[in-house]
Amino acid sequence: MSKAEIDFPPKGGFSFDLCKRNEMLIKKGVQPPSYRKTGTTIVGLIFQYCGFHSTFLEMLIGCLTKNFKEGGKTEDGVILGADTRATAGTIVCDKNCEKIHYMAPNIYCCGAGTAANTEAVTDMVSSQLQLHRYHTGCESRVITALMLLKSPLFNYQGYVQAALVLGGVDVTGPHLHTIYPHGLTDTLPFATMGSGSLAAMTVFESKYREGLTRDEGIQLVTEAICSGIFNDLGSGSNVDVCVITKGHKDYLRNHLLPNPRSYISPKGFLFPKKTGIDKFFGY
Amino acid sequence: MEETKTIAHEIGGIQNDALRFGLYGVKSDLIDSHPLQSSLASTKKTQEEMKRKVLANTYGSAFPLKTDLDRQILSRFQRPPGAIPSSMLGLEVLTGSLERFGPEDYLNDPRDSETFRPADMHHGMEVRLGLSKGPVCPMFI
Repeated sequence: MSKAEIDFPPKGGFSFDLCKRNEMLIKKGVQPPSYRKTGTTIVGLIFQYCGFHSTFLEMLIGCLTKNFKEGGKTEDGVILGADTRATAGTIVCDKNCEKIHYMAPNIYCCGAGTAANTEAVTDMVSSQLQLHRYHTGCESRVITALMLLKSPLFNYQGYVQAALVLGGVDVTGPHLHTIYPHGLTDTLPFATMGSGSLAAMTVFESKYREGLTRDEGIQLVTEAICSGIFNDLGSGSNVDVCVITKGHKDYLRNHLLPNPRSYISPKGFLFPKKTGIDKFFGY
Repeated sequence: MEETKTIAHEIGGIQNDALRFGLYGVKSDLIDSHPLQSSLASTKKTQEEMKRKVLANTYGSAFPLKTDLDRQILSRFQRPPGAIPSSMLGLEVLTGSLERFGPEDYLNDPRDSETFRPADMHHGMEVRLGLSKGPVCPMFI
C-alpha cells in the first residue's frame, strides 16, 4: 500500500476545463451569452433615534404627564432599500426581482452586479451562518457575515462580480457595511451601491442626519431609491424596503410602486393572424 | 474486451483533449487556462501552512506532527472503489471541513457531470495496489 497514492473521491467546485475553448471562441468572434445583471440602486442607512425631548416645552409636558419612559425611548436599527429591475444587456429581463436577500433572521443583504453571483454568494454565506449558529448556539453577528462574504470575494480576485450592502442588528447594535467585488469593505452610517449609487448618494448627502426616526428613515430611503429609479437607466420599477431593529424585522416588499402600468387598452391588443396568439389581454 | 475507438485523455502526462485543454504546447504547460487556477490551488495550501505554523508556535512542534499523522491515517481509510463513494467523515472532522460550506458542496457535483463514468472497481483496485497508473476515478475517457 505504500506505493499507492492517496486518492480522494472527486469533489465539485470550480472547473477551468473549458476556459481555453472559450478564449478561442471569443477570438473567432463568437459572442459569449449575456448574463443577467442587476444594474441597480441599493442603499442602506442606520437610524438611531434617542427620544429625548428637544424643546423645553416638550420636556415640561413630559414631566407633567409623567411620560418619562416614553421620553427616554431609543430606537435604532438599519433600513435597507433596493429597486427591482434586472437587466440583460439593454433588455429589462425582470421588472420585479428581489434584491434584498436573507442572510440571518437579523441580517439582510442587498446585492448589485451579476444577479446569479449575488444570489449564489448570499445563499452560500447564509448557509455558512446557519451552520455557525448551530455550532455556537448564538445569534449571528454582522461582522461574521462580513468576513464570510469578504474572504471568498477577495480570493476570486473580483471575477465574482457581486457588490453588496450588508446590514443587520446584533447584540452590539446596528451595523451597515458595503462590500465591493474585489473584497474591499467599508463600515458606514449610510451607503449606496450599484449604477444608481451616485443619484441615491446625492439624496443621502443632503438629507441624512443623526437622530432620524424610523419613519423618517424609511422616507429618506424611498426618496433615494426613487432618485436612482428615475435618473439611472439601469434601475427602475418598484422600491423594496427592509427595516431591521433589535429582535424584529419588516420586509416591505414593493413598498412603493412609482411605475404602474397605465397604458392597458381595455379592449385588449389585436395581433395579425400569423402571430401565435390572436388576442392578448394585458395583465 | 470490446474495442474502444477513443484516445485516452492523458497519455504520459500530456493532456490530450484539445477542446478541454487547448492545443498542446510548451506555453500551455506553463500558463494555466485561467488566472485563478493556480491561485485557488495555492491559497488553500498556504492557509494550511500558516495555520500549522501558528499551532507549532503555540503548542510545540509535536502537536501538528500528531495532527499530520492523524490526517494521513484518516485519508487512507476509504471504501474499496465502487459505486458507493467514501464519505471521509473522520478526515472532514479533523480538517474542519465538516462545518464549512463552500462552492464545492453545491456546484459542479461530479455525479451530475456529462462525462460521468461509473466507477470501475477492477481498475480502481489495480491502482490502489500499484499495478496500474492513473486516478482511481477517471473523469473522462
